[in-house]
Amino acid sequence: MNKNISTILKSVSKPGRYSGGEYGQIIKDKKDIKARFAFCFPDTYEIGMSNLGVRILYGVLNEADDVWCERVYTPWIDMQEQMRKHNIPLTACESGDELTAFDMIGFTLQYEMSYTNVLNMLDLAGIPLRSEERDDSMPIIIGGGPCAYNPEPVADFFDLFNIGEGEEMLPELCRLYIRMKDEGRYTKAEYLHEAARSIEGIYVPSLYEVSYNEDGTVKEYKPKYDDIPKTVRKRIMKDMDKSYFPKKVVMPYIETVHDRVMLEVFRGCIRGCRFCQAGIIYRPVREKSPETLNEQAKCLFESTGYDEISLTSLSISDYTELEALTDMLLEWTDENMVSLSLPSLRVDSFTKELMEKIASVRSSSLTFAPEAGTQRLRDVINKNVREEDLLRAVNVAFEAGKNKVKLYFMQGLPTETNEDLEGIAKLASSVVDAYYKCPTRNKARQPQVTISVSCFIPKPFTPFQWVAQDSLETLVEKQEYLGSKVTDRKVVYTHHDAKVSRIEAVLARGDRRLSKALEIACREGFMFDAWDECFDYDKWISVIERSGLDAAFYANREFALDEVLPWDIIDCGVTKEFLIREYKNAHNEKTTPNCREKCSGCGANRLGGERSCCPKAAK
Amino acid sequence: MLSKSSKITRPEYLKMLPELASPMTVRIKFVKKGKLQYISHLDLQRTFNRILMRSGLPVWYTKGFNPHAKLVFSTPLSVGTQSECEFLDLRFDREMPCEDIKRMLNAELTDEMYALDVYIPSTKFSEIAFCEYEYEIFADSVSEEFAGELEKLFTTSPLTLVKKSKSGEREIDVVPLIKSVSVGYNKESGSIRMNAVLCAETENFLNPEMLVTAIKTKYGILTAENPAEWYSITRKKSLKSDMTEFR
Repeated sequence: MNKNISTILKSVSKPGRYSGGEYGQIIKDKKDIKARFAFCFPDTYEIGMSNLGVRILYGVLNEADDVWCERVYTPWIDMQEQMRKHNIPLTACESGDELTAFDMIGFTLQYEMSYTNVLNMLDLAGIPLRSEERDDSMPIIIGGGPCAYNPEPVADFFDLFNIGEGEEMLPELCRLYIRMKDEGRYTKAEYLHEAARSIEGIYVPSLYEVSYNEDGTVKEYKPKYDDIPKTVRKRIMKDMDKSYFPKKVVMPYIETVHDRVMLEVFRGCIRGCRFCQAGIIYRPVREKSPETLNEQAKCLFESTGYDEISLTSLSISDYTELEALTDMLLEWTDENMVSLSLPSLRVDSFTKELMEKIASVRSSSLTFAPEAGTQRLRDVINKNVREEDLLRAVNVAFEAGKNKVKLYFMQGLPTETNEDLEGIAKLASSVVDAYYKCPTRNKARQPQVTISVSCFIPKPFTPFQWVAQDSLETLVEKQEYLGSKVTDRKVVYTHHDAKVSRIEAVLARGDRRLSKALEIACREGFMFDAWDECFDYDKWISVIERSGLDAAFYANREFALDEVLPWDIIDCGVTKEFLIREYKNAHNEKTTPNCREKCSGCGANRLGGERSCCPKAAK
Repeated sequence: MLSKSSKITRPEYLKMLPELASPMTVRIKFVKKGKLQYISHLDLQRTFNRILMRSGLPVWYTKGFNPHAKLVFSTPLSVGTQSECEFLDLRFDREMPCEDIKRMLNAELTDEMYALDVYIPSTKFSEIAFCEYEYEIFADSVSEEFAGELEKLFTTSPLTLVKKSKSGEREIDVVPLIKSVSVGYNKESGSIRMNAVLCAETENFLNPEMLVTAIKTKYGILTAENPAEWYSITRKKSLKSDMTEFR
């Protein structure tokens, strides 16, 4: 670390965010390195260090002797002020080198509201924002992660996107880069063309021309070369048992959001909730075997010293071998004082046996996500959970002495009526009633039911991708209406800021023209928009308007089923026909069975996959 | 020699070690410097728990609902101060040679935080009366005369500064808490080198950063306004009331 910044480090909050030097960081000798990769997480150190994807890809890139991957996080506001004031550029944690010294810079796009941080980081590094402004001497800027499934709003800034899982794609990109450099034929243009042509899952936005209809919708995507794919299909790791998983991780000194062993149990989700993007884009379901998981968990426990192992996956209780896995783990975790935790629980699989094995439920609070207040609306969104499942689950919790329950809901869902909103309040009250009816409850304590209500945001690659988000006024009215219906004093009602949700909807369903708005936003100092203290709705609307765009066009318009969508350039494996079927089923209040009950032909099985519940696709 | 590869079956290999009737206290003297100076006391505690867990050492854990290791640190070290003499008392439930403990511990540490010495203590942390600190100050305006001025500043009572504590802020005269101070100017590096022995008893603990605050306030140097000016503070020794080195 540069001595000159020590005076600054002593003046900012949490200097441990910037000092680096963690146990487990990977340091390499620059003279052996042919490709330097800066892996950027566009949010604070505490959040970025908690991300499992970054841990995996950091490890996988550093497997190669001639590639050195380092980490970069967004400096907090006070640090950015100092950096700008004293012309200190953004640097990477391990070497402390400026980002311009790198060959490739990758950003993980985890949520739309981090886009301004991406631009801000480029700017802090002294790197021109737009791809077209960067010459051959500049690093290649790469995007990936869930938001890359609709990369269009940030398309002008990135040289290329990784669509899907990056464990193979990123090393392949490095190999191509090194080969072209070695052969002396590297130019940025050649590299991008060859990557798009030869590496599956690579989307180079500058190689596709977008035209628009008079009404502002997309007319078509036209590839500039014949030898690049017309649509870019996502990559997956076919066999999760054979897929890279880190044996050790960088250990943060300061407390991070998820400071524990994160054991990825499977990818994908069998459920198919119709609002959920993760449930679609990570298909097909691919499980790891319990033996593999047990070995990985042991290995990480030994190399980290963490006293908690979190089994992470979407809807973890759907893991077919959950009992075998927890039994294997408990054989050694207890005596080593390691506890197990689960991030999310489905009410229909929450049992006494499971609760006894899992430490996260040792706390007095439990969280469930019914998502909607009535059975009708739960059928619309395909959240196949019944009220009696919820009441049974909370009863298990109350019998075990718990008194606090947190329930997640969404409002603004398609077809929602006041009755559905009132249903949320009623459901919360019936949980309170269940507490008093439970004979073995903890009589010394009062029940507390928290309902946390977020706003529905239509996301690409979901059956609800065409649906208009409620207007801001309607969202706020609905929040107030629900507030007026929560009369039970044992129920605490909290809700998200509808204004943030609206901007998120704009960016989620946006097209390439939004790059202009984001550029203005960056120039005007927008940052940390996912943080309440930084988000300014009026400024966002002003920026969108000044770019000649209309927020309602993206957020509040019902997209036509036959319209070309900005993200049609991407093939996530699940077909549009399936999404349309599901969209129609939703409006008919018809549920779809989960993947294990019956295959609904979403198309993801074409991608392959081992230990999957999908029927094998015909080759 | 104990093999590290058998850690996961820790209870197995630990059985080979002699069991103790009551936990044995072992003192670790360690260095915390460089990047590690920015890690707070609370974060350090959490970090040590993990270090102990992965080291495979026979740490004694409290019995009860939430078993945890008992870690007792000596004089607190504030963020931004380095140290060459931190002390941590640990309890082990099996006997193990101190050299082995040091080796196993250092395998899990870095070159910015590592154990210097591991031994069975014969003193209590409450015997620490003073700490000796070394300051290095780099600023354009420093000179031979400035060194003399600083020495005068820290030896002329009263030097009133605001002391922050749990019970709030109060003004104190820090000079009586400065046992000794010597300031020199290094012509070659153009920096000030200052050695100060400060009170370290719990009641009268003087944070070494307070002396820098005094310099900042009086001379307007060493602030974030000019990052070319910088300083470092290193705790060099802990001393007992008779001025012998604490061990």
